[in-house]
Amino acid sequence: MIEVLWHGRGGQGAFTAARLLGAAASIADGSYALAFPSFGPERRGAPMRAFTKVSDAPIGDRSAIDCADYVIYLDDTLLDAAGEAWARELKPGGRVLVNSVKAYADERIVAIDANGLSTEVLGRAIPNTVFLGVLSVLCESVSEEHVVEAIRQYMPAKLHAKNELIVAEARQRVLARVAQGGREAAVAEAKEGAASAQGSEGPEGSEEPEAFGTPGAPDTPGAPNTSGIPANVSRETSRAAGEGGQAGVSAPEAHDVVRACEHIPVLRSRFAVPPSLDPAEYARTTCYPAGHLVAKNAGWRNERPVINAEACTGCLQCYLYCPDGTIYKTASAAARDEDSRNAHGAFAPVAVDYDFCKGCGVCVRACRFGAIRMVPESEANA
Amino acid sequence: MAAKVNARTITDDELFFGHKACAGCGGSLAVRAALKVLGPRAICALPAGCMSAVGFNFPQLCFANNAIITPFAATAAVLSGIEAGLRAQGKKPEDCTVVGFAGDGGTADIGLQALSGAIDRNDDILYICYDNEAYMNTGIQKSSLTPFGAKTTTTPAGKNAHGCLTQKKSLFEIVAAHGIPYAATASIGYLPDFMGKVQKAASIRGAKYLHVIAPCPTGWGCGVDETVEIAKEVVDCGLWYLAEYEGPQVSGVPGGKFTLNRDPKEFTSVAAYLRRQGRFRALSDEEVASVEQGRDEKWRYLRSL
Repeated sequence: MIEVLWHGRGGQGAFTAARLLGAAASIADGSYALAFPSFGPERRGAPMRAFTKVSDAPIGDRSAIDCADYVIYLDDTLLDAAGEAWARELKPGGRVLVNSVKAYADERIVAIDANGLSTEVLGRAIPNTVFLGVLSVLCESVSEEHVVEAIRQYMPAKLHAKNELIVAEARQRVLARVAQGGREAAVAEAKEGAASAQGSEGPEGSEEPEAFGTPGAPDTPGAPNTSGIPANVSRETSRAAGEGGQAGVSAPEAHDVVRACEHIPVLRSRFAVPPSLDPAEYARTTCYPAGHLVAKNAGWRNERPVINAEACTGCLQCYLYCPDGTIYKTASAAARDEDSRNAHGAFAPVAVDYDFCKGCGVCVRACRFGAIRMVPESEANA
Repeated sequence: MAAKVNARTITDDELFFGHKACAGCGGSLAVRAALKVLGPRAICALPAGCMSAVGFNFPQLCFANNAIITPFAATAAVLSGIEAGLRAQGKKPEDCTVVGFAGDGGTADIGLQALSGAIDRNDDILYICYDNEAYMNTGIQKSSLTPFGAKTTTTPAGKNAHGCLTQKKSLFEIVAAHGIPYAATASIGYLPDFMGKVQKAASIRGAKYLHVIAPCPTGWGCGVDETVEIAKEVVDCGLWYLAEYEGPQVSGVPGGKFTLNRDPKEFTSVAAYLRRQGRFRALSDEEVASVEQGRDEKWRYLRSL
């Protein structure tokens, strides 16, 4: 069975893509697919998951996928927020495909600028169908022909042409990278593994690789929230967790789609190990720590409010009107936000709890002194 | 009565925190502010609706208070039961308010008879209706508190109809007509006024009802940062009003006392308020004018009370 795990935000089309992929993969005779989303009562913009299972036999296991052949992130901030947890979602030989212009040091992560491509074609960043094109190259059991057929069967007529174009274009870009990457890999091998700087020059351009720790972190029962769940979230502990979350930067390293392609998982349900029926093991898969504030609301924002301590008068209007209660008085809170220090070393009277702020911007409008502004997350993290 | 609460004097504790509401949610601000006033010993009951859906999100529980989910129609009945149960067990301290948070649909449509019954029995409960003017939790369907002209999935805007065809039900007046000890309207755009009313309601024994306007950026078609501004503007343009009703047993006035807390000499533009929201996009200029006319009639009536 091939299992595909989609991570997206409510509204990005992760479930639509999961369904189209399932439809495409089940068109051929004797092939089966299952696609379903998983979202709780979370709302627009909240992280959600969708699943596609593809097999050459009827699929009886209708449970969520914890460990997949392909893990797709429609939003790279979700991958960043996952810390090291992403590696636990991958089967051996599996691949992460992420919608990003960044380059990732780990060769198991393949970045594709799906926002750029969909914006070119649609005028809007709707990244989902780009990955159908990518998967039709990488995944044996999904053909371009069937993806197009699925789009025609399941999407409104007015969306057919553009999405077919996106799929074709995505295929071309991936195939171009395969060809280019193949040559470079051969060259690199000939030089006995000498580091090839050009190797990292993907068609999307690349920046500093994101910092990711090495995989193989201790196994924890699959929790629904991939950001490490502290036992109890207080302002102090959550801040410490936030700062310590990123591992050291590894050296930039050539990585390309070719390496991903070497390990294309194929249909292998006939050889699959039956799931363990040990009750103790089963219990661990369904038991979570639960209670008042056991998890953070990570990954809801694209922008964050930043308080200018010079301009802040301490009128507390932002504190009063924050729908999430994430602005707190620093005078009374034990923890203080280093970022809110002003030039004289004094703290702003209020600070923002970024572990729970959703970036709505109500505080910016509530501030009559222009002391709060919204800063893109990418900039704030830089 | 204790000193009036404000941003400075109110507790730093966040009693409704880490919830999964949309960014910029007005309803969550209403619940958060009310609980900050009522404190950790308040006991909450919430029917089906956004606030129960986003507040009890396994494994994350977002209420620091005791809180339970009720059947959709039974908010007020469950509040009555909690209050009676606490008294029967001798476990109801003075500062324990039994408070319900229900949406407009859960209050004006589905939970109306239970609310009416609880007011009739004059049980010592506080019922807060956070009004986002449609069934937002299920994806924006019309309720009887949806205003004229608002587009919902069950009142779509098309060639013949430009959204909701009915007028917003006057629920505050329906509740006041029971002779309830205390009822008030509020808006999350005027949070100090709302918090003051929560505090006042908590100090009164018997049934209390608060109706707070809480915009929903998702359902109203406005920016997530505009929630509070719009909640202010709906009051400033006169399409919502801040008022209180004190029943005869509280005010000593036969038939009860009605107070208009805010009586603007001049209203801001109704058209500007409507036009900034996606849900009113299909309204014609004539329809906007009729909304304005309806506002003027409503205020003639309010000022005559």
